[in-house]
Amino acid sequence: MALAGSPQAAGQAGGFHRISFTGKASEYFGIWIVNVLLTIVTLGIYSAWAKVRRNRYFYGNTVLLGRSVEYHARGVQILVGRLIVLGAFVVLNVLAAVVPFLVLLPTIVVLVALPWLVARGLRFAARVTSYRNVRFDFVGGAGGAFKAFILGGLLSVITLGILTPLASRWVSRYLGANLRYGGKSFDTDPPLGPLYKSWLLSFLIALIGLGIIAVIVAANFALIAALIETPGSLAPEQQIPLIVSAVIGYIVIFATMGIAGLFYRAGVRNVAWSSTTFDGRHRLMSDVSRIRYTWIAISNVIVTIFTLGLMRPWAAVRLARYTWEHTGVTFSGDVGELFSRIEEQGSAVGAEFMDFEGFDFGF
Amino acid sequence: MASDNAAIAGGEWHPAGSSRSVEAHLVEKGGEIAAVPVGGERPLAGAGLSWLEISSRVGSIPRRVTFPDGSIFETWDNEGIDRYLAARGRGGAGMVHWLEQFRLRLIVIVLLAFALGSAVYRWGVPALVEVAVVTTPPIVPQLMGKGTLEALDKTTFSPTKLSEERRREIADGFARIAAQSPAGAGAYNLNFRDGGIIGPNAFALPDGTLVVTDQLVEMAGGDTEMIIGVLAHEIGHVELKHSLRQFYRAAGMTGLIMLIAGDVGSAVEDVLVQGGGLLALSYSRAAEAEADRRSVELMAKAGYDPAAIARFFTLIEEKLGDKSDTNILSTHPGTPQRRKDILDYARTVTGQPAPEGR
Repeated sequence: MALAGSPQAAGQAGGFHRISFTGKASEYFGIWIVNVLLTIVTLGIYSAWAKVRRNRYFYGNTVLLGRSVEYHARGVQILVGRLIVLGAFVVLNVLAAVVPFLVLLPTIVVLVALPWLVARGLRFAARVTSYRNVRFDFVGGAGGAFKAFILGGLLSVITLGILTPLASRWVSRYLGANLRYGGKSFDTDPPLGPLYKSWLLSFLIALIGLGIIAVIVAANFALIAALIETPGSLAPEQQIPLIVSAVIGYIVIFATMGIAGLFYRAGVRNVAWSSTTFDGRHRLMSDVSRIRYTWIAISNVIVTIFTLGLMRPWAAVRLARYTWEHTGVTFSGDVGELFSRIEEQGSAVGAEFMDFEGFDFGF
Repeated sequence: MASDNAAIAGGEWHPAGSSRSVEAHLVEKGGEIAAVPVGGERPLAGAGLSWLEISSRVGSIPRRVTFPDGSIFETWDNEGIDRYLAARGRGGAGMVHWLEQFRLRLIVIVLLAFALGSAVYRWGVPALVEVAVVTTPPIVPQLMGKGTLEALDKTTFSPTKLSEERRREIADGFARIAAQSPAGAGAYNLNFRDGGIIGPNAFALPDGTLVVTDQLVEMAGGDTEMIIGVLAHEIGHVELKHSLRQFYRAAGMTGLIMLIAGDVGSAVEDVLVQGGGLLALSYSRAAEAEADRRSVELMAKAGYDPAAIARFFTLIEEKLGDKSDTNILSTHPGTPQRRKDILDYARTVTGQPAPEGR
């Protein structure tokens, strides 16, 4: 009775299996435009349900061994989470505006609350995701999130990016080693060497960008100095090259930092996924080409902007297809055997009904 | 009614919470829907249609049928499920999926989305801003103002070096125009400060605190009336609650962009935020023009030269050589344009040809 072309269960043998992505741009376009329309009509309330439909589409088209991943969150849960975060944000900002010496309060609260929110958001994201009727779970706590995201982020900023691979390592370990599926754990331990190899290239790209900026500043040095000395002292004909250089500089920063970041992200993905094991025996793998990934991401943005957003569905499907099709799993032993024994563990079942999404954080 | 054992769809059946799967068919048996294993007879699970939970259709991803015992049947055969639901009067795939299908009618939805999106931007956000401004308790702008002046005093300003007499002269003139404001002279208080790196400037805080820097007074030379004109412009900002409006507008735009962020991707979101910043500048230009007109009205009521503030722009042009035309990167409208608008409006207000600069 199955439709022609619908994926059939793959062979039960072990070995290497790639993930496939079966989403289609034309199909997603309809889902996307209806999401946008209903979000506008309901002044944003529908955005929670829009997210559910979007994620169901992308998860449901991510297929391994002929079976797709599933997303179970309900719109209400996401709406409640968003309202709580928004409310807290408004209250904090009003307090800060009203009581001047509390100016730093939002920052402090965010620093303290963010790790907790991130951990909670990840747990939610994992628990509303299932594969073959068994849900994932995430057991990472706020402490680990603090170390991985906030401490790691600070270190990487303070050291001008030199310690970024260390931060990436912490993040991947936090995300990977705390993930559970049917009570069995994943483990991620990316080695620093390959992370640094990937980082070096991005670092060089960023340096080139900074070099271009330095040249622009040097060329306009006299004008900038005059502007700092006596604000507003420049004649309009002097201002024009300054404005043009500022715009060029802005674009250069945007582009080089973007390219460096995308290159690095693709590299880290490969290292992290390829250093991940499930239940100590099954290996995950990612072989995304950094150049191709960067090209797809950048051309996606350009095409999206030039088509007033209408090609966004095509862009999203294109990137998802590329990344998932360069991801796979090597199963050790018989797959049928493996999946006949995995049972959902108590803690993850039904717990999502008490849970809400604290923070948008991709799973 | 369909005959017994009419297969609805083929797929896989899982026991509750288990990844173990059995290849099965979904069939209707004597009013019940059951999952029957391929090549078997005994149903794995079954229940009446109203007891089942059937996931809604999204694109062509697999559908889940959840039985009361927690076991599930999963199938890629969306059409089969929809046909069955439609035949049972359960609406098939549902309204949202009908809208989402890639048909010609999507063009209507695209146009609607664009039209409504611009309508929200053009009228929806401004309307919400007005509501927020009206419902803001007066304590909020007061506290906002208090904090800002304290912070500026600590960081950039130092006490004024103007003579007592010069200050009284300006303050008396200021009292005359402040009295013309609907809120009355009591709603405003004028402060003199040495501007430090800020230089010649005057500004108003939302609570009616006005600050004028020594540098601006010096730049004006003996032309007190011109300073009063500038202060009247600042009163205009307070009366029209510009800073509060700007704050709410920025918050509203950020909120809008964040809501559709998931649907446009993070890079496009960044671009939108930057674009929003440029648009905010155009709003502040409109605010400046409004405050200029308010200055003309207040000055005329108080018996001053309504176009006094125009002399200030003449001065800026001479001193700073600002002859630039309005462009998108400037907060303030191009100075020559502003002067012309003020003179025109002054003529309208007084109903006579404007006095040419003395």
